[in-house]
Amino acid sequence: MNRLSSINRPAPRKLAVLFKRATLISIFSVSMLRAEVSAQQSNTSAVEAEHSTSQSSDISDNTSVTQNIENVEENERDFLTAKQWLARLTEATQSLNYQVSFIQSRAGSETIPYLWRHGVLEDGTTVEQLNLQNGPGRELIRVGNVVSVFEPDVPPYSLYSASINGPIPSQLLYNPRALTKSYKFIKVGRARVSGRSAQHIRIVSLDNSRFSYQLWLDEASGMLLKFNMLDLNGNLLEQIQVTSLSIQKEPHPYFARVNQATLPQPMVITPSQPRKHHWEVDYLPRGMKEVKRDIRRLALTGQIVEYKMFSDGLVDVSVYVQMADDAIGADMVLRHDVNTFLTLTDGQAQVTVVGEIPLNTANAIATSLSMHRPDSNG
Amino acid sequence: MTKQQENLSAFMDGELSQTEIIDAIKQDPVLQAKWQRYHVIRSGLRKEATVAPQLDITARVAEALTNEPTVMAPRSRWESIPLLGNVIPFAKQAGQFAVAASVAAAVIVGVQYSNQPSHTEPFSTFTTVGPQGGLAPVSLEQTRTLPRNDMAMMLEKKRKINALIADHEQQVKLKQAEEQSAAAEEQQGSEN
Repeated sequence: MNRLSSINRPAPRKLAVLFKRATLISIFSVSMLRAEVSAQQSNTSAVEAEHSTSQSSDISDNTSVTQNIENVEENERDFLTAKQWLARLTEATQSLNYQVSFIQSRAGSETIPYLWRHGVLEDGTTVEQLNLQNGPGRELIRVGNVVSVFEPDVPPYSLYSASINGPIPSQLLYNPRALTKSYKFIKVGRARVSGRSAQHIRIVSLDNSRFSYQLWLDEASGMLLKFNMLDLNGNLLEQIQVTSLSIQKEPHPYFARVNQATLPQPMVITPSQPRKHHWEVDYLPRGMKEVKRDIRRLALTGQIVEYKMFSDGLVDVSVYVQMADDAIGADMVLRHDVNTFLTLTDGQAQVTVVGEIPLNTANAIATSLSMHRPDSNG
Repeated sequence: MTKQQENLSAFMDGELSQTEIIDAIKQDPVLQAKWQRYHVIRSGLRKEATVAPQLDITARVAEALTNEPTVMAPRSRWESIPLLGNVIPFAKQAGQFAVAASVAAAVIVGVQYSNQPSHTEPFSTFTTVGPQGGLAPVSLEQTRTLPRNDMAMMLEKKRKINALIADHEQQVKLKQAEEQSAAAEEQQGSEN
């Protein structure tokens, strides 16, 4: 917290940010803000501020702007909408040097502690580390757009990825705007989390077909403090709780010790060519779309499945279709962690839906399957 | 050599602050193997071993799988369906990564099995996962003693369920990497 407050900026810069944000809201609130601010500040800085409002588009190029956000006046925060808070979250997670400890807990299983560090190096490269703190551990290091994975029983490998795919959904952190097709963001109000003042925001699917989420963002920095996943009845399915957060001016010394030359070379995974299926899913939750389809063998059993994946950015749903005589043989519903597993047999085909969605939605997807007549082109 | 092994052992115990040994380990595959074995032994002794020593075979299995010729589906059953001639063996899709993901899932399953009461006594706890968060509990379970062949069928069912769940989890992990790989390739292509 002390470190936070040490990052101070001159008043005119503060105002510049203030007004850059204010323009994002409505003209009405801008004019209100102006009135308030000019009452507080001397005449000269108010003039300066107005000047910078007119040039707000230029300021947005300035990367250091995000650091100033930490010091935004309190009255401005009251004007931020839920979407703007999420934009702040994105800016903060991508541009600050921080070290976060958090735990992930799920009903009926042990809590899992993680250490998460992020830094922006001098040359502008972003580096990130996610470390599983219990047991033999699991370490993911991202340098730029390459993520290297170190796990106890597997040789280290690297993949191309612009973000580490950790317990916090990366779309939420890096591209919340893309989620607005499926979810609405609702600002709930202020709360206290991890000993800091926080803004509480709810994320609810537009058609109430998916689990909902609650998040708490640090008022001072915009960083995530707590993240809940709730089922349709409001029961907690999964929780991520930050236990410590520190933001520094410089990247953590850990990143200086990462020898980039010794990280494994990234594997290129070529997406398989989309295959033609003789079936389609007619019902999809709002905002969800197909991201992948193919035919392949399951790694564990070697069974052949036709596969489609659907995603709304926050959750991924897999749909498998296989021959009934080779399949599980009974209709059933399971829950695996937070994934719903539903399998139905209809005559010749067995349909299986797996994903972090409520049972009703999984059932609606599975039962909406319709067959095409196989054409000669196959 | 023995000097280096001593150093290695001392380094693992935190008694050696020199970093030369790290370089030595990087250079020498024999030392690397020792390094790994020591860690497995140590975590075994501390009872925190989630790494069974025999899991070293994963690398070899993965290697064998990638070298394996393409396996096609049994003809009799799949002949009628077009397209299946081009089915890709899973090992080819993502190589070691795919195998690694599935091995991890299998390990978890193994633990679940070993936690089950032995089948000489009647058991009523045959759910794959406990009921959580509002879903009705799964009813694979029986309250009477199962005949053996039912038991085998049940295990086979579980194996199939786990295959699907493991596959889903792997696909989710791969999704991002695939997108980014494509983007990275494009970028490299335009640079060349």
